[in-house]
This record gives sequence, C-alpha cells and structure tokens, in this order.
Amino acid sequence: MNQINKTNQITAFYENDGENREMATDPTISLKIRTALAEYLKRDPERILVTQHLRDDLGLDSMAVIELLYRIEEAFDLQIPDQDLVGLTTVGHVVSYVEKRLEKSASSAPIKKPIKSMKPAKPAKQSKPKSKKKS
Amino acid sequence: MRARVVVTGLGVVSPIGIGISDFWKAALAGQSGISAITSFDPIPMDGYRSKVAGQVRDFAVERFIDSVHGERVDRYAQFGLVAAKEALADSGLQMAKENPHRVGVIVGAGMGGMVMGEREITQLYQQQKPHRVHPNFIPVITLNSASGIIAMAHGAKGPNLTISTACSSSAHALGQALHCIREGRADVVIVVGADASITPLVFAGFCSLRALSSKYNDNPEKASRPFDRLRDGFVMGEGAGTLILESAAHAKKRKARVYAEVAGYAATSEAYHMVIPREDGLEVAHTMKLALADAGLTPSQVDYINAHATSTTIGDAVEVKAIRQLFKSRADKIAVSATKSLIGHTLGAAGAIGGIASVLALHTGKIHPTANYDDPDPACALAGLSRSAQERRVKVAMLNAFGFGSNNAAVVFKQAAK
Repeated sequence: MNQINKTNQITAFYENDGENREMATDPTISLKIRTALAEYLKRDPERILVTQHLRDDLGLDSMAVIELLYRIEEAFDLQIPDQDLVGLTTVGHVVSYVEKRLEKSASSAPIKKPIKSMKPAKPAKQSKPKSKKKS
Repeated sequence: MRARVVVTGLGVVSPIGIGISDFWKAALAGQSGISAITSFDPIPMDGYRSKVAGQVRDFAVERFIDSVHGERVDRYAQFGLVAAKEALADSGLQMAKENPHRVGVIVGAGMGGMVMGEREITQLYQQQKPHRVHPNFIPVITLNSASGIIAMAHGAKGPNLTISTACSSSAHALGQALHCIREGRADVVIVVGADASITPLVFAGFCSLRALSSKYNDNPEKASRPFDRLRDGFVMGEGAGTLILESAAHAKKRKARVYAEVAGYAATSEAYHMVIPREDGLEVAHTMKLALADAGLTPSQVDYINAHATSTTIGDAVEVKAIRQLFKSRADKIAVSATKSLIGHTLGAAGAIGGIASVLALHTGKIHPTANYDDPDPACALAGLSRSAQERRVKVAMLNAFGFGSNNAAVVFKQAAK
C-alpha cells in the first residue's frame, strides 16, 4: 500500500517538475552529473544536454544506468530506492531528482565528493606492485 | 569419420610479453618474467612468506580494446579479451563471413575476477554499507565473465562455456573444444585460458598452503626452478593465452595457415587428495596414455613434452616418474620444457600458454629453455631438459596439466598433414 502511494508521489513529482524545472537546475549538480556521463561516454560534457534521454539519446543500457546511479549515490551521499528508478529516464530527471533529494535531506547539505569515473574496476591499480598511492 | 581439429591462431598476454612475437622471442631466450611484489597496498609484504610473482607489467586494456567490453570486466577477462583479439587476427578468421552460431568460446579460468571480488568484500565488511556494493560485482566475479565478454566482443554465438579445474582449466578447455568440433557442434572454438589473481587474499592463501617459493625473495628470477634440486615451491603468475581451434575442413576451405593439429585429449581424476598428487605417478601416466590413444599415437612417437612442472618438490618428481613409467627408454630421448620456469604458474592460463609453447615447438622446431635448471634433481632428471633452447624436429607434442581437486589433463598436438 505504501509502495503504491510512493509511486504515485514520484510520478506526480516528475509530472510537476519535468521540463520547467530543467531550466532552473543547480549548475553544480547538473555539471557533475553531465561530466560523469561525458567521461563514461568519452565525449565532451558540453554535448550532454539535460533534455537527453539516457537510453534513446545517450545509448545507456539498463546496466549503464545502474552504474551511473551508483556513482551518483556516492557523490551526493544518497540512497536511491528501487521505486525511484522508474522516473529517471533523462539527464534532466536525474539532475532534478538529486536536487530535490538534497533539498529534503538538509537545506544546504554540502556536496562532499566528486563523481568518480563510472568505470567498474581499476584492476591494474590494485595489484600493481609499484602503486604506493591510493588509487 | 570424426572431424580433425587444427590450430590456426595464437594470442598471449604474459609476464614476458604481450603478443606472440614478443613472448616467443623472450621464451627462447630463457628470459624470466618473475619479479618482486613491492606492495599489496596498504598491506605490507612482511607478512607474506613469498614476495615474488610473474606479473604482467604496464597492462592497460584500453591500449588494446577500444570498446566498453574491457571496462566491464576484471583483469583476468581483460587479459582474455586481448589474447583472443590477437589470436583471431592471427587466424585471419573474419567473423562477418562466418555463421556466428558455429563459432564457440571456451574459457579456462581458475580464480576469475578476484581483483574486484576482494575489493568489494573488503569494503563491505569495513564500511558495512551493503548498498555501496558495486553493481558490477556479480557480473564481474561470476566465473564465466570472460567467456561471455569474449563472445560479445566478436559476436560468437556458438557454445559458450567456462571450465574451472584450477591449474589445469585451460588444458581441459582445449580438450572440450576438441570434442566440440569433432562432434560437429562448432566449426571454430576460441579457446582461452586466463587468470589474474596476484591479489592480497589469493596470494596470502597460496602462501598459507605453503605452496609458493619463499627462498628466492631477494632473487626473484631464480624462484621458479622446475626439476632443479633447489626448487621450493611454485611462483604465482598471471596472464592469458588463446588458441583458435577449427575443423581441418573449415581451415582448408578458407585457406588458413595451420600451426598444428590437436590430435588427442584425456581427462581423469586421481580421486585422491585436494592438493597432493599420488606419489606413484600412475594416474598421470594413465592420463598421458589415454590422450595418446585418443590421438591414435603411441608413446614411441612423442618428441616433446610441455610439462606441468610447477616447481614444487613433489609435483615435479611425480610427473617425471610418470613420464618414465609410460615412455620407458624413450623418456630420455624426448625434449621436455617447463614454461612455468619463465612466467610462473598462471593457474587457469597455464594450459593455454603451455599449449601455445607446444604448438610453436611443432611449428618452429624450437623448444624454449627451462630456466634455472641448474642442478638437476636426481629424482626428476631427464636428458631432454635443458637450460638452453633446443632445436629439433617435433612431430608430436604432449601438454600436461594437473589441477587441485585431484584432476589431470593431457593434450596431444601433432604436425598437421600437408
């Protein structure tokens, strides 16, 4: 029952905040997310637009979207519940969602960490004998 | 009549070279790929009894693979991707011209994606944040991640299997590929052996088993010394080898260059002990005999043995005992070499890389040296072992591989009929 209510809320959230909100996105959050995507897709961050669809325009498969959200959770210190994933289909959706969540958690929660690369593993670093530094 | 199977392409990632040309040049020169492990950052090396390994240096997958495939898999599978790419190019096989359902991939891997595996387990226990476990953890550590990604990279839609029998994994992969093509289930099988688990936990585990060499920490190049009197355990290695197997008819049709024929294979279990071989060598001898019978050959026809020879006290002696039992007076006439003396024990990759050395011996008439065979142990001396490269006509070669869990494999290669 709770589940259903939550889903409705989220749908409503996107319906109300969709296109218009994208104009008002926080430039820092938006840039961080677009930079992470650009790094993954090996293209210029300038070419990642908030209006772009993650799958249809950027070619992310469902696994790549999950990887992106994993990095976002880390960068913004969030936990994104499964039921929230449904609405996150465009770059703008992700940006607005993160903004909304950050507003909710603490009025001006600072963003602590940069978004790391979406690449899943840096195996060479861990077993490379000479890497004294933390990767 | 069952289909004959030939080798038409080779590829390798090894501690003595990435690419067949560099590998074979270094191997014939007896170059050692064993070096000191300086750190398992942040764990100091002090606690490790062994401090040396056959490490692949300066490997970056993006230098070889220009697609997302390499980024989604662990180091061992990246090695596999690179070796497979080289072997396919070497074979001249063009996937666009093939029926993709007739091209299979069979990978041998012993440990799999341990780099990410260890990292994620450590973080989970330290931070106690289950939601921070990486979404790629499961697809990366699943042992068939390499066979999956290699098929995706090349569009190979035939049988896709992973064989995990510890140190003999890719010898069995070769054998299973032979069966697969013989039985007509595929025209081509990309056979890969790959492992990359010189990682803090796995390495510690082998140290605790007292399986690794520990007397040569200050002199790494001397640590891997199969059949030598002063050997004291194996040296861990990492890498990947790929052999393109295809039916002789298919190879002929596309006018492919043929390195050798894969003539026979046998798989047995000693049903004896998880990590110790039977000391009488009977089961090893039996396995080699079965493989020769499968090839329609006799012991008197074998010219070269690429020995399993890990440099452990018991293992090497048992293998030589078995060779003497089966080959009798011919035992000292056969050229023998231990690839692990050069690169260490690459676990799941060992069978494939040993297979490559066997195929190249047939193809080039050259046998790589057994490094550090300085003072032959009387318990395992063979006249055909040498610290130097040997030149001789090899018509039949035998590859031995034995694995934890009491399993044995032998693969027979022979010169392909003209």
